Amino acid sequence: MRSAVVTNRSRANPRPARSGRSTLIFLSPWLVSFGVFWLFPLVFSLVLSFMQFNPLRPDLARFVGLDNFARAVRDPLFWTSLKNTLVFVCGTVPVTTLIAFFLAVAINRKLPFRSLYRAGFFVPSIVSVVVISIVFKQLYSPAGLVNKLVEVFGGNPRSWLGDPGTALVSIMAMDVWSSFGYYTILFLAGLQAIPAELYEAAVLDGGGFWGTLRFVTLPMLRPITLFVIVINTIRSFQVFIEIFVMTRGGPLNSTLTSVFYLYDRAFYRFEMGYASAVGYLLFAVIMCFLFLQMKYLRVGRGAGE
Amino acid sequence: MRARMIILSVVLLALLVSTLFPLYWMVATSLRGEGAVIKKAVELWPKQPSLGNYVDVFRSGPFSRYFLNSVVVSAFVVLGNILFASMVGYGIARREFRGKRLLTVGVVSMLMVPRQITMIPLYLLISKLRMIDSYFALTLPFLVDAFNVFLISQYVTSLPAELEDAARVDGAGDMGIFFRIVLPLCKPALAVVGINTFLVSWNSFLYPLILTNTERMRTLPVGLALYSQGEHSVDWGHLTAGSTVCALPIIVVFILFQRHIIEGITAGSGK
Amino acid sequence: MRLNTRALGAWLIACGCAVALALSGVSCQRETGTKIVFWQFWPTEVISPLIAEFEKANPGVKVEMQQLTWQNGFEKIVAAVSSGTQPDLCELGSTWVPKFAADGVLSNLTADVTDLRDQYLFWDSCTLNGSVFGIPWVAGTRALFYNKELFAKAGLDPNRPPQTWAQLLSFAKKINSPAAGVYGFGLNTGERYILFKKFMPLAWGNGGTILSPDMRRSTLYSKQNIEALDFYRSLKPYSLVEKQDVLDMTFKQGKVGMVISGGWNLKTIPADAPGLKYGVALIPKPAEGRGSHASFAGSEILVAFANSKHRAGALKLARFLVGRENVIALCRATKSVQPALKGAETDPYYEAHPEERMFVVQLKTAVAPPAHPKWVEVEDEINAAVEEVLYGRKTSAQALLEANKKIEDIISRP
Repeated sequence: MRSAVVTNRSRANPRPARSGRSTLIFLSPWLVSFGVFWLFPLVFSLVLSFMQFNPLRPDLARFVGLDNFARAVRDPLFWTSLKNTLVFVCGTVPVTTLIAFFLAVAINRKLPFRSLYRAGFFVPSIVSVVVISIVFKQLYSPAGLVNKLVEVFGGNPRSWLGDPGTALVSIMAMDVWSSFGYYTILFLAGLQAIPAELYEAAVLDGGGFWGTLRFVTLPMLRPITLFVIVINTIRSFQVFIEIFVMTRGGPLNSTLTSVFYLYDRAFYRFEMGYASAVGYLLFAVIMCFLFLQMKYLRVGRGAGE
Repeated sequence: MRARMIILSVVLLALLVSTLFPLYWMVATSLRGEGAVIKKAVELWPKQPSLGNYVDVFRSGPFSRYFLNSVVVSAFVVLGNILFASMVGYGIARREFRGKRLLTVGVVSMLMVPRQITMIPLYLLISKLRMIDSYFALTLPFLVDAFNVFLISQYVTSLPAELEDAARVDGAGDMGIFFRIVLPLCKPALAVVGINTFLVSWNSFLYPLILTNTERMRTLPVGLALYSQGEHSVDWGHLTAGSTVCALPIIVVFILFQRHIIEGITAGSGK
Repeated sequence: MRLNTRALGAWLIACGCAVALALSGVSCQRETGTKIVFWQFWPTEVISPLIAEFEKANPGVKVEMQQLTWQNGFEKIVAAVSSGTQPDLCELGSTWVPKFAADGVLSNLTADVTDLRDQYLFWDSCTLNGSVFGIPWVAGTRALFYNKELFAKAGLDPNRPPQTWAQLLSFAKKINSPAAGVYGFGLNTGERYILFKKFMPLAWGNGGTILSPDMRRSTLYSKQNIEALDFYRSLKPYSLVEKQDVLDMTFKQGKVGMVISGGWNLKTIPADAPGLKYGVALIPKPAEGRGSHASFAGSEILVAFANSKHRAGALKLARFLVGRENVIALCRATKSVQPALKGAETDPYYEAHPEERMFVVQLKTAVAPPAHPKWVEVEDEINAAVEEVLYGRKTSAQALLEANKKIEDIISRP
C-alpha cells in the first residue's frame, strides 16, 4: 500500500499539494477574470435571451420566455444572415484549406527562398483585418485595380461590392487571400514532423508524388488538417470586421452575416434580449457544424494508418 | 527534375507577389500626394513619393490619439498577460487541487465559445460600472487570456522541478520561487506569450468598437474603420497612410520575432 | 506562513497601476471653473476656432469638445445616455431628436428660445407635442452635381442641367458609355442614413409623403411614391450603382455624368480634382408644370441633455454657435451645410459663391423627414423597399405596399 502511494505521487508531475492559500493566489487572476468577464457574461447572456431588454429604458425590461427565439425563427433577416454565414463558411474553409495544404507541400521541398515564401505568405494573416478591408474596398471600387485587371483580361468592369450577386463572393475571396498563409504555416509544421523514413519507404515502394501524398502525407497530417478546418470554421462563422468596414450587410442584405446582424440588433436597435437569443442560436449552429465536421472527418481514420 | 523545381519556383514567386501586392499598393498609395487617387486611380509607384500624408495624418485630427491608445492598451494587456497568465499557468502546472479538471475544462471552453455571446453582457457590465470609454474597459477583461495560460502551463510542466524543490528546501516562499526561479526559466514561453498577445491586442476591433464612445478612447483599428466610412469624402492618401501605420508595428514585430510567432501558433495545434 | 513582503509589494504595485488606469480613464471633474462637455460631428479644425472664441468671451468656462462620426454617432450617444456619461451640449441629427425627446432625456427649451423662433428655420424637427427640445444650427440638403465636360462630349449644353425627370433620364442615356467606363448617373444603393436622402426627394417632388400629418398612418404606398420609385429604377441601366463615397469618388474621377450629393463636394472637388468642370443644379422635378424641385432637408440641432449639471452654460454655448456670424463662418469652412438661419442666401458670401448659393436655394424647397421617434426604423424599411426594387426582386407597388404595412406596425407599437 505504501509503495502504491509513492508510485502514484511520482507519476504525476506536480509535487505534493502545497498550501491551498498560495495556490489560490496563483490562480486568482484567472478566477477573477474568468468569473467576472466570461462566466458571468455567458450566464447573463442566456438570461438576457429570455428577456426583452433595452438599456436606454431599463424600466421596461421584462421576461418574455421563449419569445425571442420564436421571433428569430420567424425573422427572415435571421435566416438570411444564417444563410450568408453558411455560404461564407462553406465557401472559404475548403478553399483556404486546400490552398494552404498544397502551398505547404510545395514550400516544404528543398526550394531556395523557402523562408521568404513562408514569411511572405503569412504576412497578410497577421495584419489587421480592418486594414485589409480598407485596402480591398478601394481595390474593388469601380475604377480600382480589380476592374483594371478584369479589363485587361477582356471582361467587363463591375461594381463588385455594390451588386448583391457579387458582394459576398468578393469578400470571401478577400478572406481566402488574407488567411491561407496562416494555415500554410500550420501545415508546414505538420509536414516537418513527418519522419523522413516514411517518405523514403514510400519512394522505395514505387509511390510517385500523388502516391506519397495519399499514403504518407495525408494520413500523417490528419490531426493538423482537422485542427485547421476546425479553427478556420470557428473563425469564419464569426466574420464581422470585413462586413462592418466594407458593406455593412448590404447590398440588399447579401452580405448580412450572423454576427453583424447580432451587432446591429444589439448596438443599433438596442434590442439586447433578442440579440442575445440570436447569439445563442448561432452558437448552437456552430456547435452542430463542428460536431458534424469532427464526426465526418474522423471517418476513415483507421484506413489511413 | 530541375525543370520542375524551376517551374514551381516561378509559380510560387508569382503567387507571392500577387499575395503581397495589395499591401504594397497600400504603402505606395500612402506615399502619393493628397487626393492622388482621384487624379489617377492606379499608379504603381508615385512619381514623387512623399511622406506628406503621414505628416497630415498625425498632425490633424485624432489619429495620434488613436495611435497612443493602441500603444497604451497593448502595453498593458501584454504586461498583464505576461504576469498573470504565467502565474495561473504555473499554478495549474505545479499544483494539485480539487477542481483542477474543471479548471482545465474551463480554460479550454473559453477558447471554443465565440466572443459574440459574451459581448453584450460584457458591454452592459462595463456600462453599469461606468467604465465605458476608459482604458479600464479596454484592458481589464483581456489581462488573462486562456490560450496564454495554456501555453505557460504546458511549458512549466515540461520544466524539471528540481530547482524549485531545492529552493523550497532552502526556505524560499512560494512567491519568491515563482518570481525568482520559475519566471526567468519561462522566458522563451513568455516571449511567445508577449508577442502573440501584442498581435491580438493591437489588431483587436470588436471590443474596442463597442466599449468606446468617443475619439478620445478609440484604438487605431476602430478609428481607421470609422474614418473609412461615411457620406463625406474619404482621402485615400490619408487612409492608406493611417492603415500603413496600423500594419507596420505588426510587420516589424513579425520580422523580428518570426520564430516566436510561429511557435505560438503551432503550439496550440499540438493538442 | 511567512508574509512574503515581495508578494505584497507586487500586489500593491499592481493595484496602484489599476487605480491609475481607472483615474486616467474616468473623467475627473477638477473644476477651477465650469466645464461644458460638447459632442459634435465637425472636424476639429473647423470647430475649434469657434470654441476658442467662446472661451475667450467667457473666462472661467472651458469647453471639452468630442468629435463623433455619423456612422456610429447615434449608437454612441444612446450608449452614453444609458450609461450616464452623456455630454452637456450635443449636436444631433434632426431625425434623432424626436426619439430622444420621447425618451425624456432632453432638456425642455421652450421657454428659453422664444426670442429665436423668428430667426431660424426647421423648428419642426426639434418640437415634440408642442415643446421645443433643441435649437436648429445648420441644415444640409442635397443637390444635383453634373459634369460639364461629359455633357459637352455627349452633345448636351453644359449650362442647361436637367430640369425634369424625363430630361434626367435622357441625359443619363446619352452620357452613359460603358465601353469608356463612363456612367450617366450615380445611383445610390442601400446605405443607412443615406439612401432615403437620394430617393425621397424624387418622391417628395412628386407629392408623395411617408407618414400622415398626424403621424398615425403610413402613406408610403401611394401612386406618387410608386411613380417615383419606378423612375428611380429606370435610371439603373445608365447608372453606376454604388455607395455614396464611391459615387463621389467616381464623379471626381470624371466618370459619372450626374449624381445627387451634398455640399461637402464643394470643398473636396476643388481639392482633389481641381480640373473638373462641374455645376450644381436643383434636383429635377417630375415634369414641367408639375411637382417641385424637392430635396432632403436635414438639420442639425443643438440639444442639452436633461441630466446636465451645466444647462445654463450649455445654452450659452448653443446661442453662441447659432449666432449669425458664427454659423455662417462654420458653413463657409465646411461647405457641406448651410445655416438654419432665415434669409441666409442674401448674405454677401453666398451671393458671391453661386454653387453654395444653389444649396441654400435648394433648402427652401427641401423636405424634412417626419419627426417621429421611431424614424430610424421607418428609414430602414424605406431603404429595404428601394433596394428590393433596384435589384429587381419586387415591383415598386409590391415593395411599397409591404413597407407600408411594416411601417404601420412600427409606428403603432408603443
